[in-house]
Amino acid sequence: MEYILTVMVLIGINVILATSFNLILGYGGLMSVAHPIFYAIGAYCSGLLAIHLQIPVPLSILIGAGIAMVLSFGVSLPSLRVSGDYLVIASIGFQLGILHVINNLDFTGAAGGLTNIPVLNEGPSRSLVFVLLIAVVAACAVFLVGWIVEGDYGRAITAMRNDEEAFSALGRNAMNIKIVLFAIGSGMAGLAGALYAHYFAYVTPEQFGIFTSAALLTMVVVGGAATTWGPLVGAVLLTTLPQAITFLGLPVSIMAPLQGVIYTTLVIFFLFARPQGLTGGSRGGGGLEAWSASAAFRARRDAE
Amino acid sequence: MFEVQNLTACYGPLIAVNDVSLSFETGVRMGIFGHNGSGKSTFLKCLVGGVKDVSGAVVFGGSPIVADQVHRNVMLGIGFVPQVQNVFPNLTVEQNLHIAGSKSNSSFLEEAYALFPLLRERQDQLAGDMSGGEQQMLAVSLALMTRPQILLLDEPTAGLAPAIVKNVLNSLSRINSELGTGLILVEQNVLAALDVVERAIVLKGGRIVFDGASEELRAKEDLWAWF
Repeated sequence: MEYILTVMVLIGINVILATSFNLILGYGGLMSVAHPIFYAIGAYCSGLLAIHLQIPVPLSILIGAGIAMVLSFGVSLPSLRVSGDYLVIASIGFQLGILHVINNLDFTGAAGGLTNIPVLNEGPSRSLVFVLLIAVVAACAVFLVGWIVEGDYGRAITAMRNDEEAFSALGRNAMNIKIVLFAIGSGMAGLAGALYAHYFAYVTPEQFGIFTSAALLTMVVVGGAATTWGPLVGAVLLTTLPQAITFLGLPVSIMAPLQGVIYTTLVIFFLFARPQGLTGGSRGGGGLEAWSASAAFRARRDAE
Repeated sequence: MFEVQNLTACYGPLIAVNDVSLSFETGVRMGIFGHNGSGKSTFLKCLVGGVKDVSGAVVFGGSPIVADQVHRNVMLGIGFVPQVQNVFPNLTVEQNLHIAGSKSNSSFLEEAYALFPLLRERQDQLAGDMSGGEQQMLAVSLALMTRPQILLLDEPTAGLAPAIVKNVLNSLSRINSELGTGLILVEQNVLAALDVVERAIVLKGGRIVFDGASEELRAKEDLWAWF
């Protein structure tokens, strides 16, 4: 039972992460891979505040999320002036740089990880209560993103993603929208990290590396980028799938790399066979197609 | 009034616009012509701050046009219609117009529909599904939604069928006469554009080689030698 509850906690955390990553990557079209580092910042900051300053855990969780949101400006202000490939490179640099710092500081526990993080709640029903809490937070995350992308602001986000030049020509500031999306998404990732830290009471730098970026990308692409429910579906599938594989009883030499192989295969398959993801509509309904729509329509227009 | 003083614009080592100075009133109908690479599109972008690497000065109505701040410059009353990528394909026609009007005043929506009745018929259609001519009408309407004093258009007839070209240019004339909105038109389609504009500029190698009345340019026997 405890195992199932722990998997459910992981699902909830991944739903928050994938949903917030979708806001940046799917809706905003910002090709950043540094999302796990804001997950790490939330986890480490909240954990360290609770350990060293004895700040109450609920408060430290909120502060951890706030710090992740504030630090997102450190990436967004200088690097969102570039886009596409340049943003991917800048975000990888930021992610690896911060991880390197965490790996080499004593007070973060260095490579060994941060231990003895105070848990949010205790008692015999600890995991069940936490599952309920994380379910509420995950639902709020999904609805928050859904609310942001609906209405006038959501249409402005779509327009900005379609074409920045045309968007600016209408007097709209694309940078402002990008910075806001990046801050909200990063703050949500920080919240997920802080919740993780105060449930498992232990975090290590390797949890927040490129592999986690790949996992989140897979969740968003498989579920459906730029859709409300896609990241939720992707997070549930890709959190339970590796757990299910462990019951196959395969040798460790196969099991170890299998997860990475599955993620890679799924991303490639969906890129070619179903770019709109599992939940995206047949056309214009989100997914990677939403990104390529403007390029496709220009090509069609040029051909006329 | 637009005043351009010693404007030079570069892309790396390439000088696209070279020490250009001129001025014109906001209600003007002016065409900017030249062969490919003559600097005409770059010059137009400079008028709205769309080129980063510039020297000299561009002033509109007493306010300086700041490089790389297109979103601020257009709020001074300049409508800018890029050559391509000028509508939002994933949004419907009406959503496109609302996006454009939200920063100024959406009440112009009805006037935009009156100018281009076809857009009202297609208001629920995705912009990406429209023909090139229809998209161009929508792009012009988007710029008009910001209630500009002057409209800068980068090759608005590029890729359009001759009948549609006439349609688009007639619409631009109506906008100028009915709304008093000035037109700065960068065009390859010289003869058709000369019917619409009253002043013509010809650029060659980033410099102005002709600046005069459109009829004067049209009357030149060696017209094509200027390009």
